[in-house]
Amino acid sequence: MISRIRLSPMVWAPSLLIGLAAAGTLSLGLGAVWLSPGEVARALLAPDSPDVRATAVTIVWDLRLARVLLAAVVGAGLAGSGAAFQGMFRTPLADPFVIGASGGAALGATLAIIGRIGGVGVPAAAFIGAMAAVMLVYGITMASRASSATALLLAGASLSTVLSAIVSLLMLISDRDLHEIFSWLLGGLSGRSWPALAMSGPALLVGLAALWLLARPLDALTGGEEVARSLGLPLNTARAAIVAAASLTTAAAVAAGGLIGFIGLAAPHIARLFCGSGHARLIPASALVGALLLVLADSAARTVMAPLELPVGVLTALLGGPFFLWMLGWGGAR
Amino acid sequence: MKIPLSPDAVAGASRPRPHQEMLSPDHAAGSLAATDLRCDLGGRAVLDGVQLQARPGEVLALIGPNGAGKTTLLRALARLLRPLGGAVSLEGQDIWRLRPRPLARRMALAPQGAELWPLTVEQFVGLGRAPHRGWLLPLAPDDRAAVQAALERTGLGAMRERQVTELSGGEQRRAILARALAQQPRVLLLDEPTAALDLKYQAAILGMARRLAHEDGLAVVITLHDLNQAAGVADRLALLAGGRVVAVGAPDEVLTAELIGATYGVPVAVCRHPLDGTPLITPLRGE
Repeated sequence: MISRIRLSPMVWAPSLLIGLAAAGTLSLGLGAVWLSPGEVARALLAPDSPDVRATAVTIVWDLRLARVLLAAVVGAGLAGSGAAFQGMFRTPLADPFVIGASGGAALGATLAIIGRIGGVGVPAAAFIGAMAAVMLVYGITMASRASSATALLLAGASLSTVLSAIVSLLMLISDRDLHEIFSWLLGGLSGRSWPALAMSGPALLVGLAALWLLARPLDALTGGEEVARSLGLPLNTARAAIVAAASLTTAAAVAAGGLIGFIGLAAPHIARLFCGSGHARLIPASALVGALLLVLADSAARTVMAPLELPVGVLTALLGGPFFLWMLGWGGAR
Repeated sequence: MKIPLSPDAVAGASRPRPHQEMLSPDHAAGSLAATDLRCDLGGRAVLDGVQLQARPGEVLALIGPNGAGKTTLLRALARLLRPLGGAVSLEGQDIWRLRPRPLARRMALAPQGAELWPLTVEQFVGLGRAPHRGWLLPLAPDDRAAVQAALERTGLGAMRERQVTELSGGEQRRAILARALAQQPRVLLLDEPTAALDLKYQAAILGMARRLAHEDGLAVVITLHDLNQAAGVADRLALLAGGRVVAVGAPDEVLTAELIGATYGVPVAVCRHPLDGTPLITPLRGE
């Protein structure tokens, strides 16, 4: 585990918020019509003032703002639930999809696409699929009496494999939907607007707040199950609450953005560099880092091959992997 | 201060036979009793009818050969292992009928195997306040005071901001003890607290265990491999073998050449500590 310069929350929290605001302003300006940060700020803060172009207001408010906000909350949600799962399972390798949410979401979305359920059908099916898969994993683990965190991880891995196999099979069979399914699986925020934000945003914020509230149980679980129990933690209740909150967050994020990898794994590690591993700070810090990363990644996805848009999940994996390796090397060398 | 031993704790202590400690129904604060306790691990009986009582104001050391059931007994006392039969009662109440948090306010465990995560020492020790403050509320000033007191008592006052993963082995053991002290328990369970520590820290930890019992009135139960450490720290010893308590009593009564020789299967000589006269065990070289 890496641990470096510790900063006070009075330093990192405002810095990250300012960084996020700056990245958001930049992102709002990027696109087919370039808007300067000043123009974006005026369109945001004083849309009725006479020195703002009406087109700028329309572009910012109707076309871009919801997507940027969605990128921020999805990034925050993935990072927050990644941090929670890393603490609960005591492994730095855990990510939001570790107990089956991705497989369930993929199957749900695939079925909705094949079944031609349009509109909110695909995100809703992804959300339901993710929650159902996690509940199934949790139920199997509880029923098996081997109710340890390791059993939960193994059950999650097994179910994910089965669900991905089913998704692959469905893709093979229904090749006319192949492109749509595949682009959903790659993850992206293309075309998302206010309805998507209204659908996923509240669940993401509620889930994140619940995870923050569960910071001390998470801290206790990092010492192992017996330590947590000897400290008086009702283990099953605490674990169920953490799984529920993290899965709500993950499912809402997946419903909005598909399977965006890497943010949930890497953001908590970046946050630990400056805020340490106590979850009361790690959860909000990870969320802010995740929000910043996904806003930046989505901006890049929209611009690097314009007018073509890259799936943001591909970009996070392409850039995130090497960055993460570099960070690990840097952390180890210091 | 020496706690006088009651006659029932001494009776029959010097013969290697299954020992049944007489139990008075003790509801006193900080008394912990195992009654006919039976536990198994993976279908193998590990504890078989253990009868034992820890009393406030004294250090009770659990000793015995490897596999005798010391750690299993400690885990059963700490409510980490559900017994097959018998009961563990804290202040007259079955621990399995208590909810986890009220139990953790009265009884704390300092485990041996430390799985550490890079929390700061203050965050780590602060976890010991959860039984009092609850799991969701932030710590209050009196919690911080209790954490500070526990840190100072264990000599970690200057290390609050350090990460527990960066501490030395001895400091980590003290941090684990500090977390248990922050629980402000009446019963303190210590699992091999001196393992892998050098002489200075061994003495410091054992001295602290004695002060917690004799000055603060805690019931301290401690598992120890080292019989001479056990002789030095404990008011009473419980010798376990094959999942049973074969003897309970003062060090003089339990640490006899016959009893230890028979239980451990190695001939030993018993001499006296030059300063305090407690028994010292030396294994004799094989003939």
